[in-house]
Amino acid sequence: MPEQPHASDHQSLTEAIIGFVQYARGEGLKVGVQESQEALRAAALGLAAQKGVFAVALRTIFCTSPDEIELFGQLFDRFWGGKRSSVRSRTAYSNQSNIQKRSPGSLVWMGMGQNGEEGREEGRNVSGANVMERLRKTDFAQVAEMDSALLEELALRLWKQMSMRLKRRLKASPRKGQVSLRKTIRANISRGGDLIELRKQRRRPGKQRLVILLDVSGSMDKYSFFLLRFVWALRAHFEKVEAFIFSTRLIRITGLLGHHKLEQALAQLSAEAHNWSSGTKIGACLKTFNEQYARQALSGRATTIILSDGLDTGEPALLASELAKIKARSRMLAWLNPLKGMRGYEPTARGMQAALPAIGLFKSAHNLDSLLELEKYLWHV
Amino acid sequence: MNQTPGLEAIIERFGEQGFVADEELATTLFLMLHLGKPLLLEGHPGVGKTEVANVLAAFLGAELIRLQCYEGLDVHSAVYEWNYQKQLLSIKIQEGSARTEAEKEAHIFGPEFLLKRPLLRSITGEQAPVLLIDEVDRADEEFEAFLLELLSAFQISIPELGTIRAIHRPFVILTSNRARELSDALKRRCLYHWVDFPDMDKEMRIVRKHLPDIDEALARELVRLVQRLRTKKLDKTPGIAETLDWARGLVALGCRQLDRESIEKSLGCLLKSANDMEWARAEGVTNLLTEIEDA
Repeated sequence: MPEQPHASDHQSLTEAIIGFVQYARGEGLKVGVQESQEALRAAALGLAAQKGVFAVALRTIFCTSPDEIELFGQLFDRFWGGKRSSVRSRTAYSNQSNIQKRSPGSLVWMGMGQNGEEGREEGRNVSGANVMERLRKTDFAQVAEMDSALLEELALRLWKQMSMRLKRRLKASPRKGQVSLRKTIRANISRGGDLIELRKQRRRPGKQRLVILLDVSGSMDKYSFFLLRFVWALRAHFEKVEAFIFSTRLIRITGLLGHHKLEQALAQLSAEAHNWSSGTKIGACLKTFNEQYARQALSGRATTIILSDGLDTGEPALLASELAKIKARSRMLAWLNPLKGMRGYEPTARGMQAALPAIGLFKSAHNLDSLLELEKYLWHV
Repeated sequence: MNQTPGLEAIIERFGEQGFVADEELATTLFLMLHLGKPLLLEGHPGVGKTEVANVLAAFLGAELIRLQCYEGLDVHSAVYEWNYQKQLLSIKIQEGSARTEAEKEAHIFGPEFLLKRPLLRSITGEQAPVLLIDEVDRADEEFEAFLLELLSAFQISIPELGTIRAIHRPFVILTSNRARELSDALKRRCLYHWVDFPDMDKEMRIVRKHLPDIDEALARELVRLVQRLRTKKLDKTPGIAETLDWARGLVALGCRQLDRESIEKSLGCLLKSANDMEWARAEGVTNLLTEIEDA
């Protein structure tokens, strides 16, 4: 482990400040030449005389968020503190080796991806139009192992088309707008100022924001594999997608959606997720969502989609009140329930009963076609 | 302002303006004045971010120019707009004149037809003003990108007129409630300060400053209760503004001491959501009162 740098390594204050900038950069603060110049100026202004004041001054220059302030505090104490302290080096966040690794409580959907390898070979032979048609209507839970790879391929292709269409329509949607005085005058200057030709302006199509909460509890096993891929396919074509998975606790996976390779994202996800249990506490998870993320994620009225079977082991009243909060902040709240695809299904589960009043759109999500149907709702968002 | 004041002067003079500034904020402001960089203040609603700009303007004896951001804020309401009516009239008046088309056009796009909106006003004034860009997190990301030019080079480009450079650099304060994450590019151009809820001691000083006549025991009790309240999970955590409102409310109601009844009567000053109210009525107030008695 490299030696922890310390202010006493340096001869002068200037050198020490530059040393600190380098140290802070190495530890993840985004500081560059500009910041070190400003730090030096701050010292020249006499702010370095008192340690507390100097800490605040450097913090003001170096940090850009509350998280960074916390990190900065530690770094400052270590570097400028009384004596050298031994510190852990930062653990590598992710590396290639993670990809093969599967943690003990590894995610259930990973299993399907692996078995798919065999299916791929056989699947090729039967990829006629009929098979495609059939697969689109097959309940995800009933998909034979050999078909799953094929279905996955088909799904990704169709979802991609769907989100492409969504994007295009939004851009071209012709809407009547107000008369734009500014543009009208400019356009008519050549006519000596007589307003003959009117120019209109329409509102820019709003930004597409999507918040997805995906249930990955035991009862959703068979579905979460495909639904997660669905989420992944959507993210490429929406302005902003925030995604969360939950069972007994809520995990934000938006960062993982940034991966270009789906498999890589899934591998990292399963490495990060611990203690997946079969129970579902939807209400509690939504509460966490409301408390920690909703303000940021739902600003500017996002569309919220919850993908869950509604089999909740928590308190129904909690679920209802948390859902109402989400609804109040969302443009539309949709609940997609894979079980709804079953013939004769009635939303009688306690959780589902409690949830119904708040839901704007209640649809099934058991096969490809049902997910593709979402298109027309997302379009109007 | 030729001579920039020191830390103590900032704390003291802010105090005269009725604002309790701690050393951290004073250091930040000191740096801002010396480095000439914009300052980004982030923090929960109601912790006095906007007030910093107000007091800074009074402190510097400068004009305060305020731009309130909102979704859909565009260049025309933030930077400049042409005075169309005046342009039209001018075109009519010039109809008979011998000027060429090009001259006419140059005329109607002259400075006298330009309506200056806050951002443009802030860089063309006689004296450096304090420019407050309030709740920048509410504006669109595109607008944020537009701010970059202003905040780094202190200039604004207008297609018809060219680039306008700042005569005096304004002192820029941006505030944000973190409704969304601001772009790194914008943050990098600013100094950053996180405004937290005040601690017991500081909040007491704030209450005393604003309500010099308040009963000391009552003030102590109500501040303690608010501090305690902030540790609870509420829909909307009360800020300093709420504390002051509540203190004023209690004084107006003629309360000498906090008890269940007086609190419930004045709860609307403090809690701003139906859920929180319900919680307070059901058990919150009684529990809080016992909690602060034990402490």
